Amino acid sequence: MSQDSRRDSLSSRWFELRLKPAGMLAFMVHRLSGIGLVFYLFLHLAVLNRLRGGPGNWDGFIALVRSPLFLVLDGILLLGVLLHGLNGLRLTLIGLNLGLRWQKSSFWAILGLSILLTLWGTARLLFH
Amino acid sequence: MNKSKTGWGWLGQAISGIVLVALLGLHWVAQHYLAAGGLRTYSEVVAYLENPLALLLELAFLVVVTYHALMGVRAILLDLGPGKRLTRLLDIGLILVGIATTLYGIDLLRAILTS
Repeated sequence: MSQDSRRDSLSSRWFELRLKPAGMLAFMVHRLSGIGLVFYLFLHLAVLNRLRGGPGNWDGFIALVRSPLFLVLDGILLLGVLLHGLNGLRLTLIGLNLGLRWQKSSFWAILGLSILLTLWGTARLLFH
Repeated sequence: MNKSKTGWGWLGQAISGIVLVALLGLHWVAQHYLAAGGLRTYSEVVAYLENPLALLLELAFLVVVTYHALMGVRAILLDLGPGKRLTRLLDIGLILVGIATTLYGIDLLRAILTS
């Protein structure tokens, strides 16, 4: 095997990982949730500016975000945070060469756990 | 791609990410579990921030989450393969956004506490 073809097979093995459904989905979920969370962060900071206006500017807003629509949006936020946080920890372990055996199964576990916790959390928010 | 650069960025995201799990957890408990009714009214926000530990938590959260978010944006944009000049411009832009965001947060905290 020549040097070049060996390198080719090595790199194609690397990229193969990405093309597997679980790896690709994990990559996309991490990016999309990350982009969503960046937007949320700046929206959140902008909204907090209302605190400059004192109670008159804040307390009515607090009443608004207790409405069911906003609580469901909080559920979506929870899903994004869970997916991104748990998958981030997973990526850190993989990056440190730890638990490579569970690279795929751990992603499905995270996906399932995030969805379950989101449903539970959203139900608690809505019906507490 | 520049290997050393990605490696450095990766480590930063991993460390700040782990710190964020803790800080966001604390932020969440403080803002929604320790607060009566799950959200604070204005006077409750002021009382909360008068606790130095709460102020420290929110400040630390602000700085770390801003860093992590902007470095994440940087990683995504670098994957589009910008040239050296564009990367440098992007870095300067992100640093300015980071500084502006942090100053905005600090000034907001100051405004609330001196109201």
